[in-house]
Amino acid sequence: MKQYTIIFLFVYAVHFQAQSQFDGATFLERTAFKIGYHGNVFSDNGLHLGAEYLWKEKIRVKEKRKGPKTITHQLLFNGSIGYVTNFTNRTDNGLHTHYGLIWRRTSPKRWQWNLEVNPLGYYRSFLPETFEVKGDEVSKVQFPGRSYYAPSVAIGIGRNRPEKRRSGWYLNLNCTLRIPYNAGTLPTFSVQYGHRFNFKKK
Amino acid sequence: MQKIIQNNIKGIAIALMVLGIVSCSKDDVNLNELDETIFVRHKKADMPAYIHGNAAEKVFLIILHGGPGGNGLWYRVNSIRTEIERNNAVVYFDQRGHNNAQGNYSEKEVSIDIMAEDVVALAKVIKAKYGEGSKLFLMGHSWGGTLGPATLLKNQDLFSGYINVAGAHDPKGLYAAYRTNLPRVANEQIALGNTVAYWKNILDVVQNSDATNSLTAFSKLNIASHQGEQKLEADKVINASKADYGDDQPSNNLSKIRWNSAQIQDMLVVEQGLFQKVTFTDSLAEITIPSLVLWGKYDLVVPTVFAQEAFDNLGANEKELFIFEKSAHSPMLNEPDLFSAKVIAFINRHK
Repeated sequence: MKQYTIIFLFVYAVHFQAQSQFDGATFLERTAFKIGYHGNVFSDNGLHLGAEYLWKEKIRVKEKRKGPKTITHQLLFNGSIGYVTNFTNRTDNGLHTHYGLIWRRTSPKRWQWNLEVNPLGYYRSFLPETFEVKGDEVSKVQFPGRSYYAPSVAIGIGRNRPEKRRSGWYLNLNCTLRIPYNAGTLPTFSVQYGHRFNFKKK
Repeated sequence: MQKIIQNNIKGIAIALMVLGIVSCSKDDVNLNELDETIFVRHKKADMPAYIHGNAAEKVFLIILHGGPGGNGLWYRVNSIRTEIERNNAVVYFDQRGHNNAQGNYSEKEVSIDIMAEDVVALAKVIKAKYGEGSKLFLMGHSWGGTLGPATLLKNQDLFSGYINVAGAHDPKGLYAAYRTNLPRVANEQIALGNTVAYWKNILDVVQNSDATNSLTAFSKLNIASHQGEQKLEADKVINASKADYGDDQPSNNLSKIRWNSAQIQDMLVVEQGLFQKVTFTDSLAEITIPSLVLWGKYDLVVPTVFAQEAFDNLGANEKELFIFEKSAHSPMLNEPDLFSAKVIAFINRHK
């Protein structure tokens, strides 16, 4: 599973790069970066960093009595990486990375709906001192932890700040699966709150 | 400044390395006040053991939580945290598939047999980490009292004593015991005039219960037993449950606890028929290490009749039975001071 995930991520990265050369806009012009909180507040807390690359955009202008109403629908490639920990019980430390697509609707008043589907994801837990027991043999495990395939979905809201360096905020409810986990699958729920920013030339 | 750093770079590097090694050395661990979390990897599972308390004498009490579906740190409460941890170290263990335990295994690799091997593995890890001379005591509460005998039957030489707290050594026999015990308690409470309508309803529930021990029938009476204990508490027949975690309130991921609980219950209770097939009553005679049996007089969940049965069947020459007069299924919550006094006295006698 680990090997397949790495191959997928590589192919995806190549595809991602190829898309950026697709039309006139530069990579940086089509890309927003993001940083924010990732966790469930009560037990597990952490940070995530990421990038969103604008793949497709459809702008619809409706003529209304009060003037034209512009609604934007976007499809963006999404990539993120983050680290979450439980500060009290020292058992829930993990690095996660997700890759997928975001569908986003922006209203005329700049309010946004986000739906994020990340079929590619990886979670690596980091455990404290760990001892492996085989028969009567007890040995210390180097770099203890486990790897999981971790696809995720998220739904949320946000607000856009066009033409600003800090180009908006978002608040998502995320569900990530860890597969295989114990004798099955573990769903984990978290909140993502963060800000997007860009490096577009002014 | 840059020049000074360049001239002394080797010295600084060596100093940093030495500091690093010293800061990681084992001497840093304060055995009088242990506060460690380690994991045990065994048969494709990684299971956390939270170790707290006074390990100066290398005496460790391993607590096997209830459930299936409970978790280790729920027991770091009241006098276990304040008194027992002052006397000796306490190891709070998340069993396979529970709470923060993780891994990658099939459903076939979840069984009482393998979970008992996990506990043996934990004991070996503690001896390897803290010294072969470490003295280990095993305490099983409720479902932990099913896993306790299963563990000791695998290897009791690792342990200096066994403490059975309302342990379900005969899960298969619980249903029949409910059908006898619930009416007995109900009639007693009706005679006392306590919550009469509720206990009359319990009499009806038992009257209408199936004679066959199916999962559905068992669940109904098990829930009634839990609710019955709440009524006894409301009527002050038993002491109010107290759960004081002090500054150490466990901050676990609740959705993960619930999810894992549901999964493990499904495997052990539904698929493997824990409450229809499993019993260790006849094997208790093979347990010969010193044993302490602790039970609440008003335990409806694992009725008090099992206390005498455990005491009578345990094969130890040195064994003791104590009944808490104002407790139900969890005397560590109803009579915490007396509970810790009994545990500490037993450990100190046999360490």
